[in-house]
This record gives sequence, structure tokens and C-alpha cells, in this order.
Amino acid sequence: MFKLNLKIALRNLWKNKGITLINVGGLAIALASFILVMMYFTYETSFDKSNPNYKNIYVVGRIYPEFKTNYTAPPLHKALKQNFPEVENAGITKSGFFELTLKNGKNTVFAKNFMQADYNAAKILNIKPMGGLQKPSGDVERLSYLNVESMKTLFPDKKDNKPEMVGMGASNSGVRSKFDGSIISDPHSNITFDGISIGNEIGQGEDYGMNNYTTYIKVKPGTDVDNLQQKITKLYRAELLKGESDLKTIEEIKAISTFLDPLANLHLKPFAGNDAPYKILVALSVLGILILVIACINFTNLSIAQATKRAKEVGVKKVMGAFRAQLTTQFLVEIFIQCTVATTLALIVAELLLPVFNNLFQVQLSIWRIDNNLFWQLPMVLCLITLAAGIYPAVVLSGFKPALVLKGNFSTSKQSSWLRNGLLIFQFSIAVIFIIGLLIINSQLKYMRSQDLGFSANQVVYIKNLTLFNNPSKFGSLNFESVRDKVLKIPGIKSATVASDIPNGAENGTNSYTTNGLKANVDFVDVEFDYFETLDVKLKEGRFFSTAFKTDTANSVVINESAVAKYGLKDPIGKTIKGCNIDYKIVGVAKDFKAQGFETAVQPTIYAIKNPCGNYKTQIMLKIEENKMADALTALKALWPQINPKDGEDFRYEFLDELYGRLFKKQEQLQSVFFAAALLTIFIAILGLFAFAKYITNGRIKEIAVRKILGASDIQIFKLINSSFFIMVMIANIISWPIAYVLTKKWLDTFAYRIDLPIIPFIISALATILLTVITVSVQARKAVKANPVNALKCE
Amino acid sequence: MIELKNIEKYYASKGIKHYVLRHVSTTIKQGEFVSIMGPSGAGKSTLLNILGMLEEPTYGSYEFMQEDVTNLSERKRIELYRNHIGFVFQAYHLIDEMTVYENIEAPLLYKKIGSSERASRIANLLDKFNIVAKKDLFPNQLSGGQQQLVGIARALAAQPSIILADEPTGNLQSAQAEEIMQLFQKLNREEGITIIQVTHSEKNAEYGSRILHIADGVIKEDIPVLTK
Repeated sequence: MFKLNLKIALRNLWKNKGITLINVGGLAIALASFILVMMYFTYETSFDKSNPNYKNIYVVGRIYPEFKTNYTAPPLHKALKQNFPEVENAGITKSGFFELTLKNGKNTVFAKNFMQADYNAAKILNIKPMGGLQKPSGDVERLSYLNVESMKTLFPDKKDNKPEMVGMGASNSGVRSKFDGSIISDPHSNITFDGISIGNEIGQGEDYGMNNYTTYIKVKPGTDVDNLQQKITKLYRAELLKGESDLKTIEEIKAISTFLDPLANLHLKPFAGNDAPYKILVALSVLGILILVIACINFTNLSIAQATKRAKEVGVKKVMGAFRAQLTTQFLVEIFIQCTVATTLALIVAELLLPVFNNLFQVQLSIWRIDNNLFWQLPMVLCLITLAAGIYPAVVLSGFKPALVLKGNFSTSKQSSWLRNGLLIFQFSIAVIFIIGLLIINSQLKYMRSQDLGFSANQVVYIKNLTLFNNPSKFGSLNFESVRDKVLKIPGIKSATVASDIPNGAENGTNSYTTNGLKANVDFVDVEFDYFETLDVKLKEGRFFSTAFKTDTANSVVINESAVAKYGLKDPIGKTIKGCNIDYKIVGVAKDFKAQGFETAVQPTIYAIKNPCGNYKTQIMLKIEENKMADALTALKALWPQINPKDGEDFRYEFLDELYGRLFKKQEQLQSVFFAAALLTIFIAILGLFAFAKYITNGRIKEIAVRKILGASDIQIFKLINSSFFIMVMIANIISWPIAYVLTKKWLDTFAYRIDLPIIPFIISALATILLTVITVSVQARKAVKANPVNALKCE
Repeated sequence: MIELKNIEKYYASKGIKHYVLRHVSTTIKQGEFVSIMGPSGAGKSTLLNILGMLEEPTYGSYEFMQEDVTNLSERKRIELYRNHIGFVFQAYHLIDEMTVYENIEAPLLYKKIGSSERASRIANLLDKFNIVAKKDLFPNQLSGGQQQLVGIARALAAQPSIILADEPTGNLQSAQAEEIMQLFQKLNREEGITIIQVTHSEKNAEYGSRILHIADGVIKEDIPVLTK
């Protein structure tokens, strides 16, 4: 019996190959995207879950009236452990603030994040070097571990896990340090590092002012966290108030509180940080579920559209003595088979898409892992979609009345229910929103790429460097003049400069400056001669820095247009601006340039060569002629040790335009997501439309035949069938236009520099959906139109 | 075997009753071969559907094998289909996705008959109807007459006591029609199967033992056929 039903099912599916393909394929694609989303969801929500104390670990952070931060000072964790019995353990970590060069002979690695942690933090965070976590002896000893990949690069032949001596910084620096072994840094954790150094205690002697550390605590299970949080706030205020007499400061301290942020929230929705990843994840999950649900509904519709063909079978089987339940089961099994095939296909599609997906979301997901939740999730999803997609057709099909279907001229009901219409409109609305979104993201990105930045990052090479050129105000600084002189001798190099910040989107430092009777916090960038020339910034009035003016290295500043506007300066050149105890003279006004990208407006900025309150000038930039670029870089690499003796050994550079281009990455990611979503939703909407059109034309075959006999032309019949769909797609467009308008407007508002919301995308989406609708429907209608009316009218 | 008392069937539309059958009362005994005749729209097919329990009468009582079946549960009705009633249709209604063999086998599967018994019964039927060579063909590879033979073989497979045939020869040429009618007569006379058929043809009706003439939902005439 089962075998026979199976045979019928397979023969049936084979006979309607096209429909089966569309049906199964559509479901498979939706499932594939669902699988990816599900995997991504599992991954994103399980950061640090491998930590056995996952649920009891909290980060202690501080809340100020104007900001929240995870950075705390070393004494805090000790106080917590001493005062609160429910705090089982407390520890601190400190992340590396600059890139560390590590050497073994000719092998070099750069550790971007060399972290420090005390032993307790290492225990809480389950940091396990190869060979297990060891307790450092005494107060001074540090146990350092390097991640496996770097260790491999430094010591390619190393097989054991014995300590090694590694050179730090340039080899002539002579600093060597012991590494006690390798460690695997789990990328699926909030705590990642290239290397880590563990001491019994770190940050000794640092007071409550040194908020450079992250404090982790492990509480006893069942602790009342809210209560603990309040107690910690009280304690923290009390600690700060010790020996404080200044009334104003006391008031300020009273406004400070602390918070406990569970480790589980750290990745997606940190208390001190933004919860955008969480929102994206939720949106993505909703989209994934939505797509699957819609695909299931389409599957159902298409199955029912095919029902006429199975009606006779149902009728005959019923009069042969089949129970309705038997038939229901038969259809369910059939749909289960299709869903199984779809799931298998979906896995294949997901596997194929995974590299693209991983690249897009910067994750390392893979399907074939033993511990993959997918292995129990997927069968569940399979059963669920079989029921969701199958119950309705199975019930409808098995419910056919033999007396009706066996009369010979049976057709499924003609009237289209509001539910079906609603679904179609819904599907198209979503598709339209994504199309409009995609087009608007495209135009904004195009605008960002083509818009005048106010400076030119082309052919500017940024050289990584640790030597300070703050001449002469910071310790150990060198004069940049000698570097410039040597560099400019290399053919092709047009100019060279050094600054505290480069235009790569990074935020500048701020300081308060006074002029025109107005004191304000404005951005500052510490520069050298040729800064503006290298970046090709335009001059508004006055002049840029020049070696011809001796005072430029003492008290000249260039300010930008925004600064002029901020201070309301009428005639800025020659005016004095006070800051850092220096009376600066404004020598020039630079045109605004978008150093921070398109999302923030250009900040009022002051550029000075001398700035004792400033930052380290380490960022070297060179402008190089395009056709001599390769030669110049080779020459630079060869000569760099002589040019920059303090940090010359490892010549590393990046192109500024690429650095700046990374600012667009987030938007490009969004663009890819929208591209995929638009394709997917359009595909699924068309699938739904296809099923619906088939259903409708099947039901109207007789009507069409009669109309043809009465003299309707083919065109008239096409029009007749298309008109109702046309109206539905128009309604979908009209519904989604305002939604898309609001959403895209909101997105565009996150840019300080943006396009005006264009109308074209709305028109294009309407035209595209209408065109696709007409094509899909007409393909279906064609069959009915081309058929000989005699056949349709023959039976009884 | 069948006892109809005062069967009525009407459709109500906007408060007006449209009668299809009125006051139909008749008795059909085991072993009879009844032909129902009448003009189009007279209610022949409806009557046959009621006899086959595919439709329910709006009023009246229907006893099948001494059992009131006007309000039968699905389970009971299907038991009857499995064991007592075989259907033959004008459009044959073979299942397109099944071969001749499988079509005949299907009712036996629902009746839960063992595989060896099944095989022998089907072999027997194929042999009897001379369609052994066609057993692996699909319905659309057969002529109309052959399809109807398969249809009848399928109806007989479950060894029913009654066959209900709705214009079994309506789609056939006269030579094939004659063959089918002779087969019915043979089944009726030699195996004692009760047959009720709806037909338009006076000639086909002559093969039976009794003719019911229906017009406008009412039995006008009930005449026995003189055996030749």
C-alpha cells in the first residue's frame, strides 16, 4: 500500500516536473536562507557559552551622567572581593593599546592586541593556554602566551610547548621577553587577543583615576544582581569620596553609579555600547522566518493549484474504500518527501553560500560540525514545515466529494479568497520595500564614492610607525625634518608629512580653545609641514603652514571652515585663538574635508604644528606619483631602516584610499544583505504569483473557452486575466511606498552627507514588479488562451 | 437488497425548492440487473449517487442489505464500499499514474488482502478480460473500451455484491459498448452480481432484467424486460 502510494507520488511529481521543481526549489532556497540565519543566530547568541560559569560572570562598568563605560580602575575589583561575599571571584584585564612587533631571527609577527590579565580574570574567563592555566609565582612574574598561529610563524619548527625567548620591537632595541607557551584565542568569545600576559596582580599601585581596565566578577549562583549592583555603586562612591573635600567634586561623584553587565549580553547588546548587532540579528531572524513562512504558504498554494489533477484520484479511491484519513496521510507523506528533498537541497545551497555569508558577516560558520545544533534543529524544522505546508492541501485534497469530482468536469473553486489576495499583496509589499531599499542604498553609496571629499586619498601611502615626531615637546621625540629630507630624495615621492591622526574615519582629540570671546571644545589635529599639500586640501583664505615662516612651528594654526563658523569669526586671518596656554595665531582657513566619512558632519578642527596638549605624531603620510609608486615603495622598504632608525626595521604601509574605503564597509555589507533579500523576496513573491495565477487560470479555463467562442481576442483575454493581478501589485506598491520612504529616510538620516530621497527607486520598483507580474501571469494565461476551446467545453 | 422509500432530493435556492427526485420508492432484489433510463436532467445520476451513498437524500429512507444507510458514519460506509459495492464510471476514472495492474490492485489494498491472494485475483481478472498483455501499461495507452474493461475489472476485484454503473458505455463506440453490456449480462447471470446502470440507450437497457423510467424526478414506469 505504502509502496504503491509512493510510486504514485513519484510518478505524479515526475509528470509535473516543472511545478515540482519550482515548488521544491522555492522551498529549498527559502530553507537555505533560513538555515544560514539559524546558524548565524546560534553563533551570535552563544559567545562565551563554552565558559562553565557563563551565567554568573558580569562586567562591572560605570555610568556617568553623560556616558557609560566598561573601563574601570584596578582597585575596584579588590574592593568588590573584600566587601561582598556573593562575589566569588574578581579580576581585571587590560587590552593592548598599540601594535607590538615580535621577532625571532627573521620571523616577525605583529600582535595587534596583546592583552594583560590577572590570574583571577584568566580563571573567570576560562583562558586556557596549551598545557593548562598556571599560577604565576610572586608579584612580579608574568606568564606570557602567544596565539598558536603567531607562535607557528615565529618558530616554524617548534613541536613542544616549551618557553621561548622572543624579541620585542626592533631587533636593535635589545628587548627580549620570555613566552611560556601557545594559546588558542577563541574567536567565538568576547575576549580575543593575539597574545596574553598573565600576572598574579596587574595594575599594582594604580588608583581610582586609572580607568584603563575591564573588571570581571563571578558571582555565586542565585545572587540578586540588582541588589549587588546598588551595593557596588555605594561602595564605589564611598571609595571615590575618600579624602575628597572639594564640594563640586563630591557632587559629581554622587552622580556616578555602576552597573553589572552579564557576559551573555556583552557581544550583542552591551550595556555600555550600542545594541545595533542585536537589532540586526533580530531583523535578520524575523526576515528568515518570514521568508520560510511565505515559502511554505506558496508551497501550499501551488499544491492546491495542482489539486484538480488529483481530484479524480481522490474520488476513485474513496469509492474503492479509502478512509479520508488514509488519503490525508498519503498526501502528507508526499509533501514530506518533497520537503525532505527541499531540506537536502537547502543544505547544499547553504553550504555553497556559506563562504559568501561568512565573508559578509565576518564569521566562521560551518555546517559539518559535530556539535552543530543544526543536527537536531533541522529535522524539527523539516517536520514543522511539512505540517505547515502540508496540512492544508492534505485536508483540502482528501476532502473532495466523489460525487462532484467524478462527474467529469471538476474545477477548483474560482473565487479568490481575501486571504490569498492578502498574501500576494503582502509578499509583493516586502519585495518592493527591499527593492526600493536596495536602490536607495546603491545611490547613497554611489554618491559617497563620487562625492568630493575635500581631500584626496589617492596615491597617499600611510606608513605605520611608532617613532614620535612631536618635536620637541614629547619625550623621545625626533625631528621629522631629517625623515622628510631623506624620503623626498626617492624619485616619485612628492611630499611627506606626519600627523597625530589620518583621515580614515577615526575621531580626533578634542580640546578647549577660546577666541572671539567664545570658549568651546573643538577637534584638534597635530600636523607637520606639507600636511595639507599631501592630502590636497583646498585653501579658503590665508595660507597653509610653510617653512618660510619661523613662527609656524611655534604658534600658528590653520582652522577649518566649520571652526570659523563655530566661533563666528568674521575675518579670521591674524586673529588669536587661545588653547593649551598658547596664544595661537590663525594663519589660514582650510576648506572643510570629510576626514571622518559621511556619517558625521565635519567637526570644527584646529590644525597646529606645535601642541603640547596634543597627541603623539606618529602617522606618516607620503604622496607618491602614481607611475612611480612601485619603485618608490621598493626604495622606501630598502631605505626605511636608515630613514627611520628608531622604528625602521619593519616597513609596513597601507594605501590611504583603501583605509578610507573601509568606512564604507558597513554600508556595503548592508547593500549585500539588501541585494540578497531583494532577490529572495522577489523570487518568492513571483513563486507565489505563479501558483496563484495557475490556480486562477485553471479555474477559469471554461470561462476563457466561452469568451473565445464569443469572439474575444487573445489580447483581450490576456488583459482580462492580468487585470486583477495588476491591481494587487499596484496595491502592494502603494502600501510599501510610505513604509520604504520612512525606513530609507531614517537610514539616510544617519548620514551627515546624503542624497535627497529620490523618486526614481519608487517608480523602478513599481515598474519592475508590474513587469514581472505581467510576464508570470501571461505565461500561465498563455496555456489557457492557446488551448482549443472545444477541449475545455467537451465534458458534459 | 435495496429498499427505497419515498426518497426526495431538492436544492433550495432563494427559498424555492428545485426538486431533482420526488417520491421515489422501489425495491431491488439480489441478482437483478436494473437499467435506469430517462431524459437528461431527469435525476438518473442523482438516484444512482444516492444508491451509491455518494449523495444523501433530503428526505426518505434507504435500506441497503436490511440496514438503514441514510445517516451512515464514514467508517460504516467505507466498509460497504470495500465489501459490497463496485463503481463503474462513464469516464472510466482510472488513476492515470497507476498501471493497469496497479489500478486493479488498489481496492484490494484498501481491503487489506494478502499479497498472494491479491496476485491470484488480479491474474484471474486479467485473464478473464483478456488484458494480460496490457497489465503494465498506463491508462492513456489504452483505447476507451479497454479502459472501461479495466474499470470493470477494478470494480470486480473486491468481489462486490452490487455494481453501480453510470452510463458505462456513454463514451464508447457501439461495438465496444456491446461487448461491455454482454460482459455485464454474463456477470449478472453467471455470478449473480446485482447490477444497476444508468443509460440513455434503449438497446443497452434491454440487456438488463428490469427498466426504471424516470422523468422529472419521478418514476414513470417500472417494467420487466422479457428474457430472450
